[in-house]
Amino acid sequence: MVKKINDKQFDEVVNSEVAVVDFSATWCGPCRMLAPVIDEVSEEMSDVNFFNIDVDECQALAIKYGVSSIPAVMVFKKGEKVAQNVGFVPKDAIKQFVEANK
Amino acid sequence: MERYDAAILGTGPAGVSAAITLKIRNKNLLLIGNKDLSMKMEKAHEIQNYPGLPAIPGAELAAKMREHLDSMGIEITEDKVSTVYAMGDYFALQGATEMYEASTVILATGVVLAKPYPGEAEYLGKGVSYCATCDAPLYRGKTAAVIGFSPKEEAEADFLAELAEKVYYLPQYTDEVHVSDRVETVREKPLEILGDDKAVALKTSEREIPVDGVFILRESVAPSQLMPGLETEEGHVKVNRRMETNLAGCFACGDIVGLPYQYIKSAGEGNIAAISAAMYLDQKKREAAKKQDA
Repeated sequence: MVKKINDKQFDEVVNSEVAVVDFSATWCGPCRMLAPVIDEVSEEMSDVNFFNIDVDECQALAIKYGVSSIPAVMVFKKGEKVAQNVGFVPKDAIKQFVEANK
Repeated sequence: MERYDAAILGTGPAGVSAAITLKIRNKNLLLIGNKDLSMKMEKAHEIQNYPGLPAIPGAELAAKMREHLDSMGIEITEDKVSTVYAMGDYFALQGATEMYEASTVILATGVVLAKPYPGEAEYLGKGVSYCATCDAPLYRGKTAAVIGFSPKEEAEADFLAELAEKVYYLPQYTDEVHVSDRVETVREKPLEILGDDKAVALKTSEREIPVDGVFILRESVAPSQLMPGLETEEGHVKVNRRMETNLAGCFACGDIVGLPYQYIKSAGEGNIAAISAAMYLDQKKREAAKKQDA
């Protein structure tokens, strides 16, 4: 499951051993395509917490983590950003990306 | 939404040939391209090695191919697909305004000869973008440069200017430019995208322009950009003998997969890609039937 969070709930990412955060927006086509793919991946990876952040609702977070193109999928370890992938990617590739960085 | 058995991108000899073979195999297909088929073929002076059609002018070969499509009731959908998404079980295709869905995709869009700018790949997603309408809202109150390769990109610059603080437009063509007052037209040649951990400036033939982002809007998109996750090799789509790409259900043929750029080679590959796609579809069907039985 992918949990939608806002600025105030970001400590859930910080408190996760490994977290994957999908920065997206409602007006972004590739984001809409990626969402169901990430959802599928989240079902298959129980050791990772998956979150979604709307960049319009959480501009401060988007700026803090240097989001300049979306969708941007970031891997966090104990709140520390360790990797970033920008744009749509097929399911196998996103899974590999998370596996390689978790 | 209707889900086609196969979506074919491109109406050169590879795409046309793939469409003909899939039609014979009784597949429900979507052929996306131009009614004029291919500018390259249309302009070819004379083709000398197409068996059965000696010394045929390109325009004449194109006319014969159109006739062939018509005779089989194959229609051409005139649209430009900007992105193909591999969704797992199917493919979603983003057209100019419409979305399409298909179980298989055959890429036959020809070859792109544009070389990326230094820094382009490095800062992609860190200030470099290929879609102004997609990423414009991220540039509220910021400065951006738009490199446009055709006049239709002027609308993208205008759209961006509604949100951004400052927009520079660098037309890479000689036609007169019509943009709103909010856009500054700059007749300079882009050379490189400069940055640290993100893009900070566009270096041109004349100077360095400080920017937060650079939008590069080319006529045709590179294969890796057209389809995220697609494996390429030196600018061409990587395929095997069966014209299979690294993504299951996606096939490629013609100039897009590599040299030699010959019409007859493209037509032959289109035929292989279509047969492989038909086999893939039949296999999927059998698997689905088995699942239902179980």
